Amino acid sequence: MSAGVTTAVELKMDWEIQEDPQRTADFQARIDAKGLIEVDDWMPHNYRVGMLRMCEHHANSEIVGALPEGEWITRAPSLLRKLALIAKVQDEVGHGQMLYHVCQDLGKPRDQMLRDLCTGKTKYHNVFNYPAPTWADVAMIQWLVDGAAILNQKSLAEGSYGPYVRTMKRINMEEAFHFKSGEDMVLTLMSGTPRQKKMAQEAFDRWWAPCLMFFGPPDSDSTKTGPFMTWRIKTKTNDTLRQTYVDRFAPAAKALGLIIHVAHKDKDGMVAIKPDGNPDMVVDEQIQFDEESGHWGFTQPDWDEFFRVIKGNGPCNKQRVALRRFSHEQGHWVRQAVMGSAGLPPSAN
Amino acid sequence: MDMITDDLKTPFSQLLLSIADDKLIQGHRASDWTGVAPILEEDIAFSAIAQEEIAHAAELYRLVADLTGGNADALAFGRAAEEYRCASIVELVDEFDWATAIARHFFCDHLDGLRFGRLANSCFTPVAGLAARIQAEESVHIEHVDTWVQHLGHGGDDARGRMQQALDALAPHASMMFEATQGGELVESAGLFPKADADMFDQWLTGLKKITGQAGLTLNVTRPAPDAVGGRRGQRSGDFAELLDEMSEVYRQEPEAAW
Ligand SMILES: [Fe+2]
Ligand SMILES: [Fe+2]
Repeated sequence: MSAGVTTAVELKMDWEIQEDPQRTADFQARIDAKGLIEVDDWMPHNYRVGMLRMCEHHANSEIVGALPEGEWITRAPSLLRKLALIAKVQDEVGHGQMLYHVCQDLGKPRDQMLRDLCTGKTKYHNVFNYPAPTWADVAMIQWLVDGAAILNQKSLAEGSYGPYVRTMKRINMEEAFHFKSGEDMVLTLMSGTPRQKKMAQEAFDRWWAPCLMFFGPPDSDSTKTGPFMTWRIKTKTNDTLRQTYVDRFAPAAKALGLIIHVAHKDKDGMVAIKPDGNPDMVVDEQIQFDEESGHWGFTQPDWDEFFRVIKGNGPCNKQRVALRRFSHEQGHWVRQAVMGSAGLPPSAN
Repeated sequence: MDMITDDLKTPFSQLLLSIADDKLIQGHRASDWTGVAPILEEDIAFSAIAQEEIAHAAELYRLVADLTGGNADALAFGRAAEEYRCASIVELVDEFDWATAIARHFFCDHLDGLRFGRLANSCFTPVAGLAARIQAEESVHIEHVDTWVQHLGHGGDDARGRMQQALDALAPHASMMFEATQGGELVESAGLFPKADADMFDQWLTGLKKITGQAGLTLNVTRPAPDAVGGRRGQRSGDFAELLDEMSEVYRQEPEAAW
């Protein structure tokens, strides 16, 4: 257990910064030669900040990502599923722990990161701001969201920062298990009773669009792709990853008997209901394989909704942050007892 | 021996169910901390313990199902409240108070160490083999929880106060773990659950007091009255109905279906 550091560290991007041109050039040359940067190596200030921000966002996402599924541990419908779900959520917490460690070495203390997370100062992945109202949502999260995470993380494992790259490789091995178990859960539901199939389709209708959004806004709207690509903090653009995802999951969903809809959502993240009582959605006619390009077509998700949710106005933003905050606050006395003065309550910020 | 006479099947399955239900519900309560525990490292450790408790329960349910029919999931999720045989200590909500969670594990894990020691000497070989393995895992749980009791006992006035309060609050429930199961004497004398040299309650209390003594805490637990009726005979505490509703919410939607 590391002693908590309570000094505030403020690491900000600085595009005016003047750095040694020789060092900068050597650094870029190493990156271009696919070399790995290690924690004690010299690195440009903005590389450090960019890497830290991405890693912290990732760590936060693992920790918050544990919450929607964690809610279902106490309701899992068999002993086997219960055990697998606890282990899965435990893995996500473990990923968070490993990633916070990488961040800590880049200069930000863990306790500060956990406080920033529950005061809303830092963010986590948007996809966890959507609700998981049924058991089938757990299945869809493990299949679709973990599937998206694997794709994204495989590209990040080709990045340039050694400690992060190695962590990604380890995490991806575990994510592969989550994905397999998710696939098995979806398959079980889709080969089950009519009620189970309906439950699975409804959950799929809730998760398809958030998973398309998973990879971030279209490249034309994405500001950070530029320098992040040159430094190989990112290795693939949002649109490239999104297309790879659709190519993989559109045919897989069809094969399972799932229908891909374009759905209109209400403010709670549920498919909206029309005045006639039917769900406000249509079959996505764009889901077709195009022989010429070798890719599957799809309808873009509602990007206005994306920006609304990312600004904190999604269906579950408040609930997720509140639970994190509750956890942090109820654990304060425990951390104080075993780690000394660590763990200032969020209100001390 | 790996066969059991018919007259012993019910009393032995009552005993095994009391232990399996304790473990399932203890693990169920513990698993609620996964993702929200006070320290990330402990989140992972406590979650591993929850998984082991539930895995142990699953193996015991399988043995019970072999003896009396049914299957493990139906035993875990499909019984009526009064058919469960756990003690009230595992049923209580901990309100996300870490001291309560630790106190519960302190009482339960120490007892598990002893009762699986006895089961490891059972004349019924399928149980004896399993029990020896479970006992080894329990000794890791015991070490873990003892460390926490000492950490909190020595963690300053606030932490010691909370830990003491939790021990005091759970003590009456803890002693009810010793309520006899139906036909308990029969399974003891038949060698299915052989008595140890020393009395189990005394051994348990001595083990606990050694740790609380080192941690600067006190312990006040008394043997349950011989006529006290509790969880072992189907008497449920107030928190159980809600727990069972939640735990079986999905299972009961389609009990015959695969999930
Ligand atoms: Fe993860
Ligand atoms: Fe995962």
